[in-house]
Amino acid sequence: MNRPTQLQFDDQQAAALPVTVIGDDPVSVEVEDLNLFYDDVQALKNIKLKIAEKQVTAFIGPSGCGKSTLLRCFNRMNDLIESCRTQGRILMNGQNILAKNIDVAELRRQVGMVFQKPNPFPKSVYENVAYGLRIQGVSKRRILDETVEWALKASALWDEVKDRLGESAFGLSGGQQQRLVIARAIAVQPQVILLDEPCSALDPISTLKVEELINELKEQYTIIIVTHNMQQAARVSDKTAFMYLGELIEYGETDQVFTNPQVKQTEDYITGRYG
Amino acid sequence: MAGTMTGGNGVSQNRSDKKDSLGAWVKSGAPWVWLNAAAVSVSLLLVIGLITLIAARGMGHFWPTAVYELVYQDQQGQRIHLAGQISQIEKVSAKRLLESGIPVAEGVETVKRILLKIGNRELGGEDFRWILEPGILQQTRPLSIAVLEREEWGTFIGRVIGLKQEGQLLESRDVWGDFQLRIERAADLRVQIKKLEKGDIAAVNYRIEKLRLRERRLQLDGVNETAPYEELNKRREELQAQYQHLEDQLTELSKTIRRDSVIMQTSDREEVELPLYSVIDAWQPNSMSGLERMKHYFQKVWAFVTEDPREANTEGGIYPAIFGTVLMVLLMTVVVTPFGVIAGVYLKEYARQGLLTRIIRIAVNNLAGVPSIVYGGFGLGFFVYTLGGSIDQLFFEEALPSPTFGTGGLFWASITMALLTLPVVIVSTEEGLARIPRSIREGSLALGATQWETLWRTIIPMASPGIMTGLILAVARAAGEVAPLMLVGVVKLAPSLPLDGNFPYFHPERKFMHLGFHIYDVGFQSPNVEAARPLVYATALLLIIVILLLNMVAIHIRNNLREKYRGL
Repeated sequence: MNRPTQLQFDDQQAAALPVTVIGDDPVSVEVEDLNLFYDDVQALKNIKLKIAEKQVTAFIGPSGCGKSTLLRCFNRMNDLIESCRTQGRILMNGQNILAKNIDVAELRRQVGMVFQKPNPFPKSVYENVAYGLRIQGVSKRRILDETVEWALKASALWDEVKDRLGESAFGLSGGQQQRLVIARAIAVQPQVILLDEPCSALDPISTLKVEELINELKEQYTIIIVTHNMQQAARVSDKTAFMYLGELIEYGETDQVFTNPQVKQTEDYITGRYG
Repeated sequence: MAGTMTGGNGVSQNRSDKKDSLGAWVKSGAPWVWLNAAAVSVSLLLVIGLITLIAARGMGHFWPTAVYELVYQDQQGQRIHLAGQISQIEKVSAKRLLESGIPVAEGVETVKRILLKIGNRELGGEDFRWILEPGILQQTRPLSIAVLEREEWGTFIGRVIGLKQEGQLLESRDVWGDFQLRIERAADLRVQIKKLEKGDIAAVNYRIEKLRLRERRLQLDGVNETAPYEELNKRREELQAQYQHLEDQLTELSKTIRRDSVIMQTSDREEVELPLYSVIDAWQPNSMSGLERMKHYFQKVWAFVTEDPREANTEGGIYPAIFGTVLMVLLMTVVVTPFGVIAGVYLKEYARQGLLTRIIRIAVNNLAGVPSIVYGGFGLGFFVYTLGGSIDQLFFEEALPSPTFGTGGLFWASITMALLTLPVVIVSTEEGLARIPRSIREGSLALGATQWETLWRTIIPMASPGIMTGLILAVARAAGEVAPLMLVGVVKLAPSLPLDGNFPYFHPERKFMHLGFHIYDVGFQSPNVEAARPLVYATALLLIIVILLLNMVAIHIRNNLREKYRGL
């Protein structure tokens, strides 16, 4: 893996400098000068960021720093909030996904999302995974069967649920539900998967399983994860972005951000001095 | 169900009085708990009391109570013979009796007064009579005395002493046994006659009426050729021939059924000859065993539920009213559900939440408080006269001046009821939708579903238990409502059910009977209130049972839905 170009930072520079360099990795999504407002309150300030393809990018930072808001820009989940406005561009496959004429439903098929709390639908395990396909109009039993099996295997859940596909998804444990939700997301074969604190409602063993799963999934998908847990970010991600008060403070290789942060705020946060 | 559980009002807590033991007791919350418990107990007692009263008064009516034969000295000092069933006993103060000029023995404070059901209305003019206990000189319960249920004149109480066939007195060793056999024969014939009248003859009449309407249609369309008219005439003649044939059969049957008569002896030794065809049932309550009484009781209850009313609704069953109530409620549900759910979904999911939505919501809530009779007036003015009148002008011109949809009927009643219950459904739909966690919506949207797909595939199914709750309330309200129905289609006696064997089988324009209105009619509009009173209670009980059953079906569906979407 290529080392990113080392830049020298000091505290004053931090806010002003572009922190978007990720070396030679192919870029999946590019954020350009993104500003986001809730009515008059600015929640994201001038974000510039390149997300590397088929890698795990972690957003860390204290509560309210805007990391979830940024994550929800990638699949336009913020559209659900009436008071939310955005400026700037997010480029994906050469298209600005923030543009008005974008088919949001189509975008969300390309960019899957897993939420903080497992949110399976009140349907069977099978129907949960098949949901996205059915939305797309797939109704051939054979295709559905294959995709469900593949997605469940890919999310390491198949062995646990293969005998109870017809049972309610609510019967699964929290960890299983979260992997089911991941299976549901990958069943539609997106390019990018967004994980919004996917392990915060899980016990340590389930967390471990989900983390292993993230490691496997990055072979095929670009993954962006928001986490409060810095050990988790250090364990699962390739790139880490540290955000503070709506600004992107530092972005770089995870090893480097954790062992040799360039900005003092990052160091303070990582070492637990605030946040 | 009547009576809702309501909590008591808050107990004010006196914080400054901490040291006081009463203050401490108040502060402990114990009075609050007691108040709650008391409120619940009172509600429960009221409900149980209500149902017990109605059930006891209503269902007791069908029990074959004993017949007493009395020698009674009335106020004029005359001795008379009476036979009857005790229908009510009450105590009257001696003072009151003295004031109305009835002599009472010295030192007596109260006198028992008994309401006796003596029947035989055609003889004495009244079938109930109050008697005073002190006047009873002799009291027996003769085994041979019989109670006759008849098609007209109410019950007859007396002894069966002979049977006549075609005017000839029958030699019979077992008069009672032969009497029973002949009642059965008459019952069979009555069924045949009814089948003929309500089935075949009604069908022929219906078709003749259809032909008349078609002819009228042709005239209205200005058809001048004679061929279509001749065709109609030919078919009418065929039908009329059929009708004549059926009419002959009917005459034959009614002649056959009139063959027998029974000679009865009343308690004052008067002999009366009664036509046997009008006797529906006869029993000797004093000689019946417990088991026979039970059997009789359930037969009567069953007859009440399954038969048509007789004698201005004071006798017979209430089947058409049950049928009408249930059908009206079902039709209302079919109308109100989609309408209310769509409106609720729009208000909650699509409409911009602002001042206008708020005003609409307030308006909808207030609509629920509008008195039901106002809905009745609206239903009559708009649905029946305006809409129905227009429909008649457009589609049923040939039937005018007699209205088809331009008069109250099942359909308009259902729609009026749907309007009345619409707010409940809208509000509960909105509440059901509000209960769905945001995460489920987001989960669906994040998979690329549009808002519409999210709604249909996930949100509405999950909100369905809440929507069902609204429907349960709507059903309960609609089934119990009477006032608006009186304006838009309920009648005292509907000649035919809205569902029958004549094409198109379902006739939503017909008038119908309703249990609630039936209670009002029997209780307050009937010529023989005393005789009809137990039926009021029995009908009320049945109305409660019907509402309960409808609700239970709805609750069952809701519980299944809840089970399906459990864990949320």
